[in-house]
Amino acid sequence: MGEVAATMKIMPTGVDVDLEKLKDDVIAALPEGAEYGTHEIEPIAFGLKAIVMVVIVGDGEGGTEGVEEAFAAVEGVESVTVTDVGRPV
Amino acid sequence: MAAEKPHMNLAVIGHVDHGKSTFVGRLMFETGAVPAHLIEKYRAEAKEKGKESFAFAWVMDSLKEERERGVTIDISHKRFDTDKYYFTVVDCPGHRDFVKNMITGASQADAAVLVVAAPDGVMAQTKEHVFLSRTLGINQLIVAVNKMDAADYSEDRYNQVKKDVSQLLGMVGFKADDIPFVPTSAFEGDNITKSSENTPWYTGPSLLDCLNELKLPEKPDTLPLRIPVQDAYTISGIGTVPVGRVETGIMKKGDNVIFNPSGVAGEVKSIEMHHEEVPQAVPGDNIGWNVRGVGKNDVRRGDVCGPTSNPPSVADEFTGQIVVLQHPSAITAGYTPVFHCHTTQTACTLMSIDKKLDPKTGQVKEENAAFIKAGDAAIVTIKPTRPMVIEPVKEIPQLGRFAIRDMGMTIAAGMCMSVKQK
Repeated sequence: MGEVAATMKIMPTGVDVDLEKLKDDVIAALPEGAEYGTHEIEPIAFGLKAIVMVVIVGDGEGGTEGVEEAFAAVEGVESVTVTDVGRPV
Repeated sequence: MAAEKPHMNLAVIGHVDHGKSTFVGRLMFETGAVPAHLIEKYRAEAKEKGKESFAFAWVMDSLKEERERGVTIDISHKRFDTDKYYFTVVDCPGHRDFVKNMITGASQADAAVLVVAAPDGVMAQTKEHVFLSRTLGINQLIVAVNKMDAADYSEDRYNQVKKDVSQLLGMVGFKADDIPFVPTSAFEGDNITKSSENTPWYTGPSLLDCLNELKLPEKPDTLPLRIPVQDAYTISGIGTVPVGRVETGIMKKGDNVIFNPSGVAGEVKSIEMHHEEVPQAVPGDNIGWNVRGVGKNDVRRGDVCGPTSNPPSVADEFTGQIVVLQHPSAITAGYTPVFHCHTTQTACTLMSIDKKLDPKTGQVKEENAAFIKAGDAAIVTIKPTRPMVIEPVKEIPQLGRFAIRDMGMTIAAGMCMSVKQK
């Protein structure tokens, strides 16, 4: 069925969260079948930064739900938003 | 990448295996969006391996390998330029559970290319995607009758598929006569950039010509201000900072704004984007902003910020047009799944199925229907279990679409037709 590249915006619980560690923690939390693609740290406002991560998931049942739930459960994560889905070239 | 050209989001839709990915690859290749050094590299490799004629498929395969090795960086955004526009491709996943992302995500498509393989013609997913694109508010369409090479470049076959697709488009309310059809082979490159010798009977525009003919959508900055709150923070020295993406309208420092359904209001003290203070924010901007007199517990995810003079609509009830994508049995009044709409996730109860629509004609098939099933479209009355903001799609389309989820599945997609306010 092919695969999907989902861009996920991960917001930390506050400005003092170590984003490098948080990035490693969310990657470690990836459920089976999902793969880390790439990421960047995006400055938002007033010292807040988001981790924008591309995750490759299967084009199957559940969509991005499994990854969203796994990420949301990681300590230091305030919210997870899928901002884009597409097929990787 | 020619930032001065107007930008458009282009969705590529169609049945699985009708050549969508090859089609996207071909567009990128023909418009020079695949980096030249990569093409050179693969061309050399192809020659080395005895493939004298430079095969397009080789490039696509090699790019895929490159990605699997983690070499390419920007893998989810595919961009290409035509003479007139700068396109970002929204290459839609096949599974229905991604419909939620298409609705709440950032990349609302401005136009779509429907890819239909000439040998197969209209298939189940062709129908579903056409219906969904209508629901999602995509009004501009181009139809590529693809894989013409696999149909012997037959004019008869092209005309038959064109007739079938036109009928389908007419059913869901597209004006088929206004929609361009192009016989293509994404694999061979026929009629993508220029007329192909393989289809001498086709005298119409190439696919790129059709893309250039698309009309820019109306800019959302003339609509009333709406910013769904993604999260709210307390930052020392600043106070409460909601963050979110501006969907419609413009917010300026000094504006009086209200957060609904919470109902708190105040004056915008400062706006920041990319850590820099900005005097105003426009649609698409990811911002944090600070409002005088608003405490952290006053605002939460799912609230929508708008002008005090034209506040976001808090629905007591609303009517929506929905299309049921998948459900194990039947949906009846009383059903209470979770509605995903902008940044809110709210359980809502289906109060009544007012009109069941015939998916073949779009006409009302049954008034006050007892149930609806997968594949059905209907006009329904919905009551949120707690206050939520939603807007009629005709007034603020960005806040009028929703996905319905239950049991870990995307059950339906829909749009809000009218709102009965609290």
